[in-house]
Amino acid sequence: MELHNVLDFPILSLSIFLPTIGALFIWLFIKGDEAVRWAALAVSVATFLVTLPLWIYFDSNTSHMQFEEFHRWIPAFNINYQLGVDGISMPFILLTSLLTVICIVSAWRCITERVKEYMLAFLVLETTLIGVFCALDAVLFYFFWEAMLIPMYLIIGVWGGKNRVYATIKFFLYTLAGSVLMLVALLAMYFKAGHTFSILAFMDYPFDFTWQFWIWIAFFIAFAVKVPMWPVHTWLPDAHTEAPTAGSVILAGILLKMGAYGFLRFSLPMLPDASQYFVPFVVVLSLIAVVYISLVAMMQKDMKRLIAYSSIAHMGFVTLGTFMFTQQAVEGALFGMISHGFVAAALFLCVGVLYDRLHTREIADYGGVVNVMPVFAAVMMVFCMANVALPGASAFVAEIMVLIGTFNPSDVAQASLAISAKWVAIIAATSVVLSACYTLWMYKRVIFGDLTKDTVKGMPDMNMREFGYFVPLILLVVWLGIYPLPVLDVMHASVAHLIEQATTTKLDAAAALAQQMPVQELAVR
Amino acid sequence: MANVTFPFPFPDHLWALLPEILVAVLAMALLIVDLFVPKDRKHLTGYLSLATILVAGVALIQVGGGTPVTAFYGFFTLDPFAVFSKWLILAGTAIAIIMSLDYIRTEENVGEYFVLMLFAMLGMMLLVSANNFVTMYLGIELMALSIYVLVGYQRDTLRSNEAALKYFILGSLSSGMLLYGITFFYGVTSSLDFKHIGDALAAASSSEHTAVLLGLVFILAGLAFKVSMAPFHMWTPDAYEGAPTPITAFMSAAPKVAGFVVFVRIVADALPALEHETMMILSGIAVLTMAIGNLAAIAQRNIKRMLAYSTIGHVGFVTLGLIAGSGSGYAGILVYLAIYLFMGMGAFTVIVLMRREGIQGELLDDFAGLAKVRPGYALAMGLLLFSLAGIPFLGGFWAKYAVFIAAMQAGHIYLVIYALLFSVVGAFYYIRVVKYMYFDEARVPFNFSENRLMQATVALTAIAVVLLGIYPDPLMELCRQAVVGIG
Repeated sequence: MELHNVLDFPILSLSIFLPTIGALFIWLFIKGDEAVRWAALAVSVATFLVTLPLWIYFDSNTSHMQFEEFHRWIPAFNINYQLGVDGISMPFILLTSLLTVICIVSAWRCITERVKEYMLAFLVLETTLIGVFCALDAVLFYFFWEAMLIPMYLIIGVWGGKNRVYATIKFFLYTLAGSVLMLVALLAMYFKAGHTFSILAFMDYPFDFTWQFWIWIAFFIAFAVKVPMWPVHTWLPDAHTEAPTAGSVILAGILLKMGAYGFLRFSLPMLPDASQYFVPFVVVLSLIAVVYISLVAMMQKDMKRLIAYSSIAHMGFVTLGTFMFTQQAVEGALFGMISHGFVAAALFLCVGVLYDRLHTREIADYGGVVNVMPVFAAVMMVFCMANVALPGASAFVAEIMVLIGTFNPSDVAQASLAISAKWVAIIAATSVVLSACYTLWMYKRVIFGDLTKDTVKGMPDMNMREFGYFVPLILLVVWLGIYPLPVLDVMHASVAHLIEQATTTKLDAAAALAQQMPVQELAVR
Repeated sequence: MANVTFPFPFPDHLWALLPEILVAVLAMALLIVDLFVPKDRKHLTGYLSLATILVAGVALIQVGGGTPVTAFYGFFTLDPFAVFSKWLILAGTAIAIIMSLDYIRTEENVGEYFVLMLFAMLGMMLLVSANNFVTMYLGIELMALSIYVLVGYQRDTLRSNEAALKYFILGSLSSGMLLYGITFFYGVTSSLDFKHIGDALAAASSSEHTAVLLGLVFILAGLAFKVSMAPFHMWTPDAYEGAPTPITAFMSAAPKVAGFVVFVRIVADALPALEHETMMILSGIAVLTMAIGNLAAIAQRNIKRMLAYSTIGHVGFVTLGLIAGSGSGYAGILVYLAIYLFMGMGAFTVIVLMRREGIQGELLDDFAGLAKVRPGYALAMGLLLFSLAGIPFLGGFWAKYAVFIAAMQAGHIYLVIYALLFSVVGAFYYIRVVKYMYFDEARVPFNFSENRLMQATVALTAIAVVLLGIYPDPLMELCRQAVVGIG
């Protein structure tokens, strides 16, 4: 087979394993907290630099996988070490490598215990996250997808808040239980599609409707837990609240995207007919996430919990756009994920800045912060406005694209829906108001008002290090809000290809295949 | 297979038994040598028994490479399947002896302790070479009798006595059931050879069906007892808790290997004609075993008891490979057992290392704060536990994968879903131990054993689990070649 790799260099492998190699090096050779911090920063920055060529040398004219690598891994089961990225996965790799740098910088002073383990956990986590987005073999994908649980379990459990044990065990078991059915589905597909685990082969193989139906459900459970969609979202507020700041940043910035990425990489192209069949189901759950979860967010007393619920609501937008099968909606969903990666990460960092000073996340414990921390108030203002999707912020681009796409859905999506998709768009649009309500209300209660609390009076403004990690986030949010074209350009060809896959039925080919040769069903006993 | 043509089975046939003969002779010699070892230097006997295993290993290299041979008129077979499982048994016994070196220093009569382990190992080596009910029975009894004594080795401890007695009584009962079942088969087929029985059963008339079924049920029940499948698992938690910890580790790995190997031989050679009935019974057993093992483990506060139930849970997963009833299923069993040997024995070694004021770490609470005091131990234990839970990049994931994919191939999709859901339940109690180690503060000061060999064992098992997790292909390939010709 021919590998498309313009660099002739295993750049994806390097991106995946550089953090772990760095972590091993730090583990064995670096001593002393300060040295470990600098070394971890160096490794994460190096990883970020290594991922940059993916952006520079990316060919946005093709939907073909790029920077491909292929090695036999477990020939007995035809499991291969197959990597490659397209316009859908490539931006997430850069998002991951950038956010990891920010995470490591943000933990500089607030993590004082077991610094080394903390940095190692983050670097190993980065490996698994980048691996998920690069994998083109289903078992390799599952491998990284599950391996991620180990560092995340430790990050929340060791460095988390008071209720961390409950939160981290809940997170671990919830996501593990969600994903095991995906493994069953993958094994079933392996036998059905002729003993292969290649994701690209799965995309091409014509599964008949019964197969698509059950596999879609198994995938859905795995991905919906990760997104998370209502009603399997309950692990997220707990995990977010108890996780250390950087843990929340990675959780909101990357982990949540993996579920939606799963829909785009697995469900839509592999199971187009089942995906179309389930459009109403996903739309209803997404709308519940957008409207009901927004209302829940409004009533939160804990800032991190509020942002966690806001994340669920925003991810509702993403799943809605994903299942509209139009260029605008899917691109909007993808753009929404990237934008949310920056905005939610930044909001958690803002809460982290406050938490480092007063060690409380309760909204009621603050008030009048603008009087003592004017710079911080301005920074947080930017991200609150971005969370509200104010024009000029990246989130606005995403929301407007999803709404337009929902207003004019593809024929197949509209055919599957019982009501006009316009109503769906109208209900979804209420989120614009609701998100303004909870975000700005929180901002008002924390930042404005009279300076009555003595504890707040003593809070120093941000230092250079803290300001430093907000700068790239502000620039990105505003830049993507004003000029989103570079990112959209990257996605264009791949999304168009995806739409074509998702709207082309596989049933005719499946019927032809069934005619052509005797059915080799997996006999179910 | 080379068939017997000599009038008297000598010396070619002894050649195939070279490792067994060496172990038997050296073990008996060791029994005498031990009399001259002073009481405070009894660990020397331990080192000598390690040397015996080394000798057996060298002998196994000599005899194990060639084509499959049978000896003693078909009473003993040496095929790749037997050779591979013998390697596992040698490794398991060696690790258990290493664990005992320090542990047993406080006990009396330690000499016999190591010799008994060698005899148990000899029994298992015979067992995996059995393709005949007589050899099988001899192997099982030699193994079991030695282990009964080892379980009750701490004579002054009530718990140890109780465990040994319970194990002995129930073990004898199950041996009786096994023998009873064998008589039925012998009555119908006039043979004790697995393959002959298989052929004869296929040709058996329907009037003999009841007798055959009775025989099947008793044989399966007897074997299920030996590998602690539910509902014949009752002895396991008590025996595991009461036994000296190295013996617990030993019991959780090596006899399971031997038991499953002979189980595979019987299912593949003797029972193909009864495939439907066998699979029905085994499916029921698997469903029950997975549920009981994984659910009961959650309620345990004693880590040895917890690992006992976890072993039962793993036995349930391995049973899926038997149910698959194919080459890939049997290969999956070997993959599972090999990886389990590393992770299970590694975890037990950490427990033995954690001696605290004379008593080794036994309660889950004893692990609190381990990560701060001994980050190395905690990391190794954490890796082993995550591996036991079946999380990828660790070997345990591929162990499960290998048996599950074989079961899927055989069409048992519901059993696989069931097993995966129970592996999530299992994950809970494993990560709970990680919680104690990493999230909690130490309450009582630790007191570690500093035995270098044991530390090396922990490190090696943890590294093995990681390496097998990243690149399991060589092991899988070995196991695939080992089961060629089985079934």
